[in-house]
Amino acid sequence: MRALKFFIVMSAVAISFGAGAVNLKSGKADLKSAGPLAFGPEGILFAGDSAGASLIALDTGDRTPAKSTGSFEIKGINRKIAALLGTAPDQILIQDVAVNPISKNVYLSVSRGRGPDAIPVILRADASGKISELALDDIKHSSVSLPDAPGAETKDARGQSHRMETITHMAFVNGNVIVAGLSNEEFSSSLRSIPYPFQQAGKGTSVEIYHGSHGRFETNAPVRTFVPFTVDNEPQILAAYTCTPLVKIPVSELKPGNKVKGTTIAELGNHNRPLDMIVYRKNGRDYILMANSSRGVMKLPLDGIGKFEPITSQTEIKGVPYETIAGLKGVQHLDRFNEANALMLTDNAGSLDLQTVPLP
Amino acid sequence: MLGSYTVESDSLTFRPRFPAMPGVATRAVFHVPGGADVKAVFEPARKQPAASTRVEHVYPSGGVLPANQLKFYVHFSAPMARGDAWKHIHLVNEGGAPVDLPFLEIDQELWDRQNRRLTILFDPGRIKRGVLPREQAGAAIEAGKQYALAIDRDWLDASGSPLREPFRKTFRVVPEYRAALDPKAWRIATPAAGTAGPLALDFPKPMDHALLARVIQVIGARGPVPGKIAIDREETQWRFVPDEPWKAGEYRLQVDRSLEDLAGNHIGRAFDVDTFDTVSKHLERTTVSLPFRIGQQ
Repeated sequence: MRALKFFIVMSAVAISFGAGAVNLKSGKADLKSAGPLAFGPEGILFAGDSAGASLIALDTGDRTPAKSTGSFEIKGINRKIAALLGTAPDQILIQDVAVNPISKNVYLSVSRGRGPDAIPVILRADASGKISELALDDIKHSSVSLPDAPGAETKDARGQSHRMETITHMAFVNGNVIVAGLSNEEFSSSLRSIPYPFQQAGKGTSVEIYHGSHGRFETNAPVRTFVPFTVDNEPQILAAYTCTPLVKIPVSELKPGNKVKGTTIAELGNHNRPLDMIVYRKNGRDYILMANSSRGVMKLPLDGIGKFEPITSQTEIKGVPYETIAGLKGVQHLDRFNEANALMLTDNAGSLDLQTVPLP
Repeated sequence: MLGSYTVESDSLTFRPRFPAMPGVATRAVFHVPGGADVKAVFEPARKQPAASTRVEHVYPSGGVLPANQLKFYVHFSAPMARGDAWKHIHLVNEGGAPVDLPFLEIDQELWDRQNRRLTILFDPGRIKRGVLPREQAGAAIEAGKQYALAIDRDWLDASGSPLREPFRKTFRVVPEYRAALDPKAWRIATPAAGTAGPLALDFPKPMDHALLARVIQVIGARGPVPGKIAIDREETQWRFVPDEPWKAGEYRLQVDRSLEDLAGNHIGRAFDVDTFDTVSKHLERTTVSLPFRIGQQ
């Protein structure tokens, strides 16, 4: 009987650890920069390190489900963060904001300083307004070099290492971290799909993304931001190209060495500068909510997205009818909070305010 | 303020997680139980260095650019502060009026690791044929006209000082370059064996400066030949001087297909490919080899 009880206890322990944290080792997480954030399973937070050309998985240990369903508001979070970090508000940059889907705590990647020696810091804010640091000096973590991204050791023939890839967005989809990056040299358009738990990355696992306008002109198409979405039971990503079309790409096509063209679902047109996008369902219909630094917050219907056919003939280009949500200006970051709310970081005349907003 | 508190030999010591920045006042308050608060203010003096950073160079160096110019590289003499680039960079037309949103304003800004080189991309939505921004707003720059890239003096460097002076680069615009690069149009001038003279590769039109510095190698019988590269003549010449005198024999220049001209055209593939012509379904081999021979004098 005793042996059986022991076995049951051990299984329970193994289950509570889960697949998320088992492979991670404790120690100092060596981040050279902290840019885009994305949550994986069970409180694992992925951070994109452009300067270090790597992707890191951090065990936040934050797995207690949120008690209240309510709202979240911290006004002037830039001033509070600056005070915590012993610096002036104009000396910090908030790089990204992500909501832990389990605990509803909000994580921020912050740069302390604006020069080349800026220190990356990851902070956690909770609904009570408390802001604490996710200490990186002894944390369970794992990291992988971004395949094909130039590291600091990559020097050109004149001994200089100017080349760098900036990670613009990341999301965890079906066991993989999808990473969009933009080079500071070649006009490239790579998307990388990195399995988690991380294996030692092989070479050439990036995918080239192209845009085909009206089936006629094909160009490299860097991705600014994207959001995972399931269409007819198939995992897809909805991606905003820098040349402004909004496209859908099946996740299954993101295989190393593939040349992938997204299917255009909307032409967003001039002055479109998307920062973040989320998808949500309201009254039985699906929508994209997009924070756009030019146009405020836009809501686009995703009706019939499963039936979109690639545009193959020279048709007249039209813009997509979108709705600008009144009263939401200066939104810098956007993430899902719960079924009814989004979380936004908004610039109100220099005060950066973090708050939940009902999904429109 | 983040930090740790410890009691050490009758003193309560606070160690901040980060040292306080100069110019940022810090206030310490000790709440005496049953007594008045004890307060102190610390303000480390801020020494503001004099404005000394300047724009050293902007590539392309030339004064003639195609209407589908893809990027600028702005080189600074010292590290800059991130986050405000788009407020301080302007493209102005002949009349001095700013062009509305000519550039791709990426939030993260495309710096190198030292914050000394910024890559500015022209909005591809206004360059690419068949996409909506070009239909709505047209190209940012038009052939036959003159423009200037202007950089404000009040852009702060990493030490918090503004630039020493504003910067301006004027240029005139010619029609778009929409043809793939053709290595057959390039000229190689070879030095003689036994000398360490330069090998020169001349292009009919300027190439992307950053890529030129990186994507061409000289390969000899024993592998890559060590030497120094120079880029000259407004990025129309790539020159290589070997560390050791040349030996006679067969060599090749290995050029990565990522090489771009000013409009993002590649070897064998223009920036935007008209798919009414054939387009490859798979990614091609990554380099092109140009053989040459070093002969006896």
